[in-house]
Amino acid sequence: MNLSIREAFGKELVKLGKKNKKIVAVSCDLKDACKLSFFFEKFPKRSFEVGIAEANAVGIAAGLSMSGFRPFLASFASFITGKNVEIRTSVSYNKCGVVIVGTHGGLIGPDGATQSSVQDIAVMRSLPYFEIIQPSSPLETKQVVNYSAASKKPIYLRIARNDVTEFLPKNYKFKIGFPSLIKKGKKNLVISSGPTLSNCVTAVNKIGKNVGILNFSSIKPVNEKHIIKTLKNYTNIITVEDHSIIGGVGSIIAEIIAKNRLMKKLKIHGIKDDFVDSDTPSSLEKHYKLDPLSLEKIFKVFFKI
Amino acid sequence: MTDNNAKLCCRNIRKKILFSIYHARSGHIGPSLSVVELIYLILKLGVNFKKKDRNKFILSKGHAAPAFYAVLDELNLLKKNELKSLRKINSRLQGHPDKKKLNLVDTGSGALGQGLSISIGYTLGSRLLNTKNKIFCLLGDGEIQEGQIWEAAMYIGAHNLKNIITFIDGNKFQNERSIDETLPEKNLINKWKSFGFQTISIDGHSIPSIEKIIKLFLKNKYKKPLLVYCNTIKGKGVSFMENNNKYHSVKDLSEEYYKKAILELN
Repeated sequence: MNLSIREAFGKELVKLGKKNKKIVAVSCDLKDACKLSFFFEKFPKRSFEVGIAEANAVGIAAGLSMSGFRPFLASFASFITGKNVEIRTSVSYNKCGVVIVGTHGGLIGPDGATQSSVQDIAVMRSLPYFEIIQPSSPLETKQVVNYSAASKKPIYLRIARNDVTEFLPKNYKFKIGFPSLIKKGKKNLVISSGPTLSNCVTAVNKIGKNVGILNFSSIKPVNEKHIIKTLKNYTNIITVEDHSIIGGVGSIIAEIIAKNRLMKKLKIHGIKDDFVDSDTPSSLEKHYKLDPLSLEKIFKVFFKI
Repeated sequence: MTDNNAKLCCRNIRKKILFSIYHARSGHIGPSLSVVELIYLILKLGVNFKKKDRNKFILSKGHAAPAFYAVLDELNLLKKNELKSLRKINSRLQGHPDKKKLNLVDTGSGALGQGLSISIGYTLGSRLLNTKNKIFCLLGDGEIQEGQIWEAAMYIGAHNLKNIITFIDGNKFQNERSIDETLPEKNLINKWKSFGFQTISIDGHSIPSIEKIIKLFLKNKYKKPLLVYCNTIKGKGVSFMENNNKYHSVKDLSEEYYKKAILELN
């Protein structure tokens, strides 16, 4: 069954809201698009519509958190993570437990560059205490929302709007800091998260057995020892992301490789230092070479298969 | 509270501000001296730090941290000699308030414009918990140039959030120059009125005026969210610092001038 990741997020939050009365929701006139509307309908008293005022929303969420609540503040990733100084001072500096949910990361479609966030991970990574998670499938999204609701830390959730067919096994377990190998390979490894991971899986399935896949949904923190151990069996590594190649998953892997002097061949594949254009999501995927077919070609060349 | 007693306390607080900034060798003197009476009375009358679930004080103009710390010291809420540690590594008294280090701080601040939104969050939280806490928010008159203040004002007015009281420290100056030279405030009071606030203008150094408003606010006597515009003097209490923006943020206050200032306050 296809379920968009944002829908899985919205539905799971309602489930959790029934048990956990500390969960509250804050919206900036985008609750329908972010699927926070499910929570608003079910728990109107614990839901706050701030209007088109993201800075105010960040402060309100921080105040709610410091009053003992667990706010989920959702908006388009590009808009909400653009409020850097507000998140930095009101949330991060106070080390308060706001969950910022950024939807519409990556290649979102005809609305174009202003609404498509391809810088949010880079921006959020540098903020102290923040954890960053980008779930890759509906199943993982549910687990990540559970984790986020129970935690007291500031968290940035990058929630895709894409429909993703479930590809993770039923016994899959998300663990913060420990990206998991969802397919073992020999020498060759693909690292990705979010909706692009499912495209990577399709591409790898066409190529064959000797390519491994690492689900990098836990973007920050990363247990370095775990990554070093995982990378040990691989020589050729490619990171794939619907995000700028500056400051995203590729950068994280490059840092670990350089810091630990690992002898690896690394390719960082993502959005070049630019904004993305308008078009249908599938045309955009092809244009930026993030669709399964383009990925298959890129993998074949890089892995020399 | 007797007026004379409060006056004496405020004089002590001013001396403590200068003492801590003199030892730190830097800090915002002018905008700290302008808010002494306000912070002292807010904390003395409105915030009981010993209670677990209590009213909150949001110092949105975080650069007035030395005034906040000096008031805490005057109320015996700091450690002995702690004021000397202002702006130092591992001190609870960071250059701008840090909630992680000092748990009497209700929000960290320093990047301007954010405190009023935090106040909303606190009051919404209190409403859900049914605790009816009061939130005291102190803004600078330069600070209200930040757009977020007006996002928050719009929200407070729209939802008639009467448990927040907003004070503006109207000292007429900002970082570089006067407000008038930077961005004149046209019809400031009417702006707040139009957002749904009841507005009052007072002398921000008048103990009886501030005391009266705080007491009425605590008794829920105001029917709308309250904006108190406080006419204050930047650098208040030391003649050569008053209305002298050289003392907005001071580096290395000399011993001579420090002693001169203390002498005036004595």
